[in-house]
Amino acid sequence: MVSRLEIRLKKELMDAEGGGITLKSREYFGFEVDEIRVIRVLTIDADLTQVQLERIQTEIFTNPVTEESSYSPIARDFDWLIWIGFRPGVRDTAGSTAAEAIQDLLGIKLDSDQPVFTSKLFEIRGNLTRRQIEKIAGQILANEVIQQWKIHSKDDWRAEDGIGFPVPRVILDHEPRVRAISIQSDEELRKISRERYLALQDRDIPVIREYFSREDILKERNKFGLDLPTDVELEYISQARSDHCNHNTFRGLFRYHDILTGHRKTVDNLFRSCIEVPTLKIMEEKDWVISVLWDNAGVGRFDDENHYVITGETHNSPSNMEAYGGAITGIVGIYRDPMGTGKGSKLILGMYGYCVGQREYHGRLTPHLHPRRLLDGIIEGVRDGGNKSGIPTPFGLLVFDESYLGKCLVFVTAMGIMPARIGSESSHKKATSPGDLIVMAGGRVGKDGIHGVTAASETYSEHTPAGHVQIGDPYTQKKMHDFLVEARDEGLISFITDNGGGGLSSSVGESARFSNGCRVALDRVPLKYDGLDQWEIWVSESQERMTIAVKPENLDRFMTLSDKHAVESTVIGEYNDSGYLHLEYEDKTCAYIRMDLLKSDFPQWEFDAEWTSPELRGLTEPVFGEPRHHGALLRAILSRPNVCARNWIARQYDHEVQGGSVIKPLIGKKRDMPTDAAVIRPILSSTRGIAVSQALNPHYSEIDTYNMTAATIDEAVRRTLSVGGDPNHLGGVDNFCWPTIEYHPNKNPDGKYKAAQLVRANWALRDYCLGYGIPLLSGKDSMYIDGNLEGPFGERLKVSGLPTLLFTVCSVVEDITSCVTMDAKFPGDLVYVIGETKDELGASEFYQMLGSKGLHVPSVSVEELWPQYLALHKAICEGLVSSCHTVSRGGLGVHLALVAMAGELGMEINLPCVQTAQELSVTQVLYSESCGRFVVTIAPEKKDGFERIFSGMKLGRVGVVTESPLFCIRDAGGETIIEENQNELKDCWKRPFGELI
Amino acid sequence: MTHTITPRALVLTGYGLNCDYETDFSLELAGAEPHLVHINELLKDEKTAAAATSLEDYHILVFGGGFSWADDHGAGVLMASKLRHHLGEQIDSFIRDGKLIIGICNGFQTLVNLGLLPGFGFQYLERRVALTYNDSGNFVDAWVNLRVNSESPCVFTSGLSYMELPVRHGEGKFHAPAEEIDLLFNNSQVVLQYANDNGDVAHGQWPDNPNGSLEDIAGICDPSGKIFGLMPHPEAFNHFTNHPDWSRRKEALSRQGKAISSEEGDGVKIFRNAVEYIKNL
Repeated sequence: MVSRLEIRLKKELMDAEGGGITLKSREYFGFEVDEIRVIRVLTIDADLTQVQLERIQTEIFTNPVTEESSYSPIARDFDWLIWIGFRPGVRDTAGSTAAEAIQDLLGIKLDSDQPVFTSKLFEIRGNLTRRQIEKIAGQILANEVIQQWKIHSKDDWRAEDGIGFPVPRVILDHEPRVRAISIQSDEELRKISRERYLALQDRDIPVIREYFSREDILKERNKFGLDLPTDVELEYISQARSDHCNHNTFRGLFRYHDILTGHRKTVDNLFRSCIEVPTLKIMEEKDWVISVLWDNAGVGRFDDENHYVITGETHNSPSNMEAYGGAITGIVGIYRDPMGTGKGSKLILGMYGYCVGQREYHGRLTPHLHPRRLLDGIIEGVRDGGNKSGIPTPFGLLVFDESYLGKCLVFVTAMGIMPARIGSESSHKKATSPGDLIVMAGGRVGKDGIHGVTAASETYSEHTPAGHVQIGDPYTQKKMHDFLVEARDEGLISFITDNGGGGLSSSVGESARFSNGCRVALDRVPLKYDGLDQWEIWVSESQERMTIAVKPENLDRFMTLSDKHAVESTVIGEYNDSGYLHLEYEDKTCAYIRMDLLKSDFPQWEFDAEWTSPELRGLTEPVFGEPRHHGALLRAILSRPNVCARNWIARQYDHEVQGGSVIKPLIGKKRDMPTDAAVIRPILSSTRGIAVSQALNPHYSEIDTYNMTAATIDEAVRRTLSVGGDPNHLGGVDNFCWPTIEYHPNKNPDGKYKAAQLVRANWALRDYCLGYGIPLLSGKDSMYIDGNLEGPFGERLKVSGLPTLLFTVCSVVEDITSCVTMDAKFPGDLVYVIGETKDELGASEFYQMLGSKGLHVPSVSVEELWPQYLALHKAICEGLVSSCHTVSRGGLGVHLALVAMAGELGMEINLPCVQTAQELSVTQVLYSESCGRFVVTIAPEKKDGFERIFSGMKLGRVGVVTESPLFCIRDAGGETIIEENQNELKDCWKRPFGELI
Repeated sequence: MTHTITPRALVLTGYGLNCDYETDFSLELAGAEPHLVHINELLKDEKTAAAATSLEDYHILVFGGGFSWADDHGAGVLMASKLRHHLGEQIDSFIRDGKLIIGICNGFQTLVNLGLLPGFGFQYLERRVALTYNDSGNFVDAWVNLRVNSESPCVFTSGLSYMELPVRHGEGKFHAPAEEIDLLFNNSQVVLQYANDNGDVAHGQWPDNPNGSLEDIAGICDPSGKIFGLMPHPEAFNHFTNHPDWSRRKEALSRQGKAISSEEGDGVKIFRNAVEYIKNL
């Protein structure tokens, strides 16, 4: 029998969730909603007695102080009622915890796997039409890919029936079956690839066919009753060969041609030449680099007893499709990489970077989700994923640009920490050996994330799962995290890796390379529901799972700990040295593939790369006269979306959990200024710290991606140094997001140019990592950031995102108590600008405001800057620096103001004292975005010591901090060109998103 | 008990709880002998019918922060149900023995759902007050000023009059019927109230009062003062560099030729009070 419990807040209590929806209805659509109140619904599919039902109602699910509840419908006096529930197969964490609590309280065992389902009812009051209600339901409340919804008007509502008894259980009436597939010709395999969404590369197809037709292979296969390739095998190969797993683009062959100079160069494998080789070279010089280029994340030394772990990736397409689900899955997913690095690490930090269209976009194109809703969803997804994981999120970036309407970018970065040794073994090393058991721990397997399961074909049938989307579940993963850290410390883990893209097929496939073989019984893999085909079990991307190699003698203890932490772990097979990947289902072989097939030389991808220089593209500097109202200009730039305050995001992210917060996301006298970098104290008993920061400068790509990359790396370095990071310990993470670079005359006519942009970005990556001594501890590339958006006439326009690099720099701080924040601290302090200002306003915020690009994009000279960085570090270590801030987007005018605003103090700035490379106009000095610069304030008595350290370098003593709130700038003639109250500047800077909480 | 004992503190872990690492560290700084114990280690094992750990071996019980059982049915609700059901008697005798219990954030939410707070008339069963959704409707991380009620019998705050600590929650709004709130004030069970920069109560003003708590209530104790629940996180202020103003304060001191006197964060005082109380029993 099914019962339905409805729970609501008492009338006198404010319904904050309903209030939020009311607000969004107004914000997004301008609907005037009087009130929305939420009713939580539990559908319990179990035979419980009246007494039992009353117990769980009163003892668990109803708070007598704030709530009322009933087993019959309680919705009253509404104009409209919206019911929202999960679609079958979507992870319903609240449902399973409710079931757990019910069984625990009543001391009974409910037979069904999923006896409780949660859903929600929204009582809506206000004069709205059905179409408006449908919009609220479909575009604010429900996410159609994972949820179903029904609308009731007060007229058609039958209170005695209510919403009925929704039980969205997955029922697949399907007998799992392995299919043998004939691939007589390349064309036939190509056809199969299309039909099954295998996305096999044309050039791979002959290699695959050749393998399956080999005599020796056939003989081996026949022993196990195999002949033609099975669907399991082809799915496996397609996963293993995907760009995601293989970085085929970065490992490709590029024919580079500079049209202006005629210079031609063949670049073989960007990954090797621009990432691997430089990093290995730097590794020889830096003994703190522990492990790079092979594992799920990079490892660096924190102190003698501990290593830190870092990696970053993107989750663009899923977030673009379903913002909340995509983003939470992204952050929870990246957290599994450090967990799966070496023998496993404990998570200590997360960061985010968002690139989206303007929040107020009113243009002609219709993106899948409007940027406002998209950004809200992304922010909320990362919030829940990070906060519920108990991991601090102390830093993040946000860039608005129309080019991201095609596809938003969601960068997520994670850091972990591990003891240097576990017993006698190095924790960063791991391997599988013959005889090790293959254990899958964490969540169960469903149709989640299986490619090819399309919404179109299955969305609307009642009991088919929402296969193609995944919703990260931080609760399940947090339990698994705690379990694995304990198991690691007891030395029970020989090898660990996560199940992400490709699921078991990649986690088992890759881990089996160490032992050179494995045998897996797919029927042992625990499933969310019956009826999955063998290939689906193998490639499913169901979340919150790790694959672990456990020695047989350790299994009992491993399982005991797994029980203690209420985590499901299952032995699904065994590693061996057979040289084969061997999959069985109910003792029948369904895949038998040589381990070395994927090592065999698949043809390299090839690209034509044609560089058209900025000059050739007709870019020139804009011609403009000096503005007459510099104060108004400064205020205007401070209130631009990419410069102004976005504090509402940082405030919803827990950045204090784990107790090691040193420099927070928002700092200064009023704690409202974004920090240059985050600093944490991961080992509480030590005053050593980790400083980490990121930079994003996609707009420079409009002129030259070489400069974009150089400027982005330099900014991330400066941000990390400015809080006290160590120039001799700079670990890098590169996250590329690039539009499609394969040339196609109609679909991608500028593909060759985009390919050249990628080559140039990689050259800069190589040059500046070598220059600054930055090993690339980790990195990921995400291509295809394009979208086809509908215009007003139903036409579709391709929109490609700007070539984007998020660069992360982490460092170890000897003593966190010597760290520096960016806020001006005392009146009378001297203000310095370190570094030289040049005529480099190309693609600057100022030019963008003028509506022009310009040509002179910032460039970086390591030789020039490095000595200044070392000097700054010396000054900080000697305690000479009171505040230090990186000059970045917006230029000196903006960043001097930010330093003053952070300290709620004024400044007297004498502009001619700024070191410049050539004769520059006031506007150029104020808004050039030249790299390598810092704003520093120091106590007057420290002047000599400070200036001595910088003797012979580009250092300008440009003014003083003042008690008066006035921010004043004088020009060469001694005339005051800016005199603004810093409080008013701060208002301008805060206003654009000031309403958001 | 003698003066020489080291108080043993039990910090609950598992099922989505976090903050255990820094709570453990703060207790150690305060002079306790802390142990991280998974909730399941306190429950009877089905096979052996015995539990790995028992509350009676401890003097201080800490319900820390986090998202127990993901908090989808109200923060702390399922955890309270689980503990009441399996450990009800152990907890009751723990209280009868005059030992100390502190609930922080999710732990506070659990204590009110367990009925251990407010515990009017030393009755520790009923849910009389609640912590519900912030008025803002959103999770918030912010440092708050706290006025400490020196009248309250709370063991954990003795000698304190003012504190600054971070709050990090989405369900921290203290709510109770007016008569219950009167009772709390009359019994001096209101221990912490959100305050403004001058140390006066916030009078509901955001952001000084970050969640809309009635009467700015941030923490309460039972009539004995031995059970304490608060939304702010004392364990997150275990070192002076946790404070948002530390770099400004350090600079200010250095101008006077001084250095930070103690590296310890003020939050540790709350745990030290507990430790001292046990030692002096």
